[in-house]
Amino acid sequence: MADVKTPHPLVDTTEPNLVEDVYPYDLPPLIEFEGPVVETIDGRAVEFDLGAVKDRPIYITDTTFRDGQQARPPYTVDQMVHIYDLMARISGPGGVVRQTEFFLYTKNDRETLDRCRALGHTYPECTGWIRAVKGDFRLVKQAGLAESGLLTSSSDYHIFHKLKFKSRRQCMDSYCAVVDAALEAGVRPRCHLEDVTRADIDGFVLPFVDRLMEMSRGLPEQQTVKIRLCDTMGFGISYPGARLPRSIPKLIYKLNRECGVPSDRLEWHGHNDFHKVHANAATAWLYGCDFVNTTVFGFGERTGNPPLEGAVFEYIALKGDLCGIDTTAITALAEYMRSIGLPIPDNYPFAGRAFNVTRAGIHAGGLRQDERIYNIFDTAKLLGRPPRVAITDKSGTDGVALWVSEFFGLKGGEQISKIKCAKLARWVIDQYEVEGRLTAISDTELEAKTRELMPDFWQKFK
Amino acid sequence: MDKQQIEQGVVKVVCQVLNVDPGMVQPESNFVFDLGAESVQSVELVAGFEEEFGIEMDEDAALSVETVGMAVEFITKVCKEQGVEVEE
Repeated sequence: MADVKTPHPLVDTTEPNLVEDVYPYDLPPLIEFEGPVVETIDGRAVEFDLGAVKDRPIYITDTTFRDGQQARPPYTVDQMVHIYDLMARISGPGGVVRQTEFFLYTKNDRETLDRCRALGHTYPECTGWIRAVKGDFRLVKQAGLAESGLLTSSSDYHIFHKLKFKSRRQCMDSYCAVVDAALEAGVRPRCHLEDVTRADIDGFVLPFVDRLMEMSRGLPEQQTVKIRLCDTMGFGISYPGARLPRSIPKLIYKLNRECGVPSDRLEWHGHNDFHKVHANAATAWLYGCDFVNTTVFGFGERTGNPPLEGAVFEYIALKGDLCGIDTTAITALAEYMRSIGLPIPDNYPFAGRAFNVTRAGIHAGGLRQDERIYNIFDTAKLLGRPPRVAITDKSGTDGVALWVSEFFGLKGGEQISKIKCAKLARWVIDQYEVEGRLTAISDTELEAKTRELMPDFWQKFK
Repeated sequence: MDKQQIEQGVVKVVCQVLNVDPGMVQPESNFVFDLGAESVQSVELVAGFEEEFGIEMDEDAALSVETVGMAVEFITKVCKEQGVEVEE
């Protein structure tokens, strides 16, 4: 072991330091930075001030009705309108959830778009998504949309093996012809650089983006080409020092600083094939991309996209403020998705039925003393979901006492002593040790047993 | 009630809850290490003492009692505090 050079004297105190400047509890834990991050790019040390994100106008965009629908049977028109309405509630008056994109090909697609816009929400702004086919811009114009995404796949896997172009030149010319058609139609093109984390960055991506920037020169700002970086297979890497084409910091730097694509025209679209989807999206924000593209609860092609609700809490953590976001609408959205048959795993962060439910007696003991010990933030305030306890053989008397207190709505000093719950706790343990039960005990069962075994308490509080 | 009755009451509850022979229950017997009390049984013991003597005990203080003798002393003290007459 190396010699210890720096002594670390104990700071003795009788008052706990709960680090409340980072963990304010009525907000998600805040994310703060100290000093710049250095990334070596083309042999040069480049500094990034990640803390600048606090004052940058970053946003969330959504693709629930496009990528999200590629992972499931189609939503009905009514379902999409309701989801859009809840998304607008989450977004708040500041429009943190800035845009959402729609297919435009069927009668249902167009009816959905019309009905969503008829709700009158400013945000999320409705945009389109079409193939890279010139004629499709007629659909965008007919729908009265100002902006549409179009597929401009960027890896040679797609260019040569999927789209069967003879050369990169032919491919780029073809894409640029479609971009021209969009501009002629008065539609702002958003070029989706499909499979960019597997592309030849210097050999195709940067020259193509250079050309798009050239095509945008002299156009009014609202017409200029936007770029969506699509990590189609989830290959993107957030770690400093990672190499292109997988490095998200380097990709954004190249487009932002070398091609001159302003941050407000850069968007990140990820996939979760390697469990990196949310951190990758947040990394894109930090390194200069203003928009991250998400879907509600991450529903999307294969392993899904960055979850919208994860981006919402990341946004608040980076900004240190709710910024007008209605986080409780996330719970309403989760309930709605479940009601229409979309499964959300019980342990899914922020929205699963059991995301803040403890089954461990020792954690229940902590929750009884101070809910902050085992609750990530004030989930009752931000999500309408107070921390709860589920009763199993691991719950112990602490868990049972917490369940009873929750059931009767007793808080703080009013909470029931576990001594008073001894009979109920015994019944719970016997369920497993004597009866051989293997499942959790439902609230309904516990309610009936509380009435039977704690009649005085029931009489007093129920 | 006198101290002997409290001792007898304590032994009775301990035998019922922990299912042990009265001969095993000595003043120095530790509830966990000598008599094998599990977590829920510790709570059941305290609940049993409350019912036996008609008193209410502070949860943390009662659960920190380790031996039969300490339980007798603790219950005697609580009985006096809560107006239950105890002859010395």
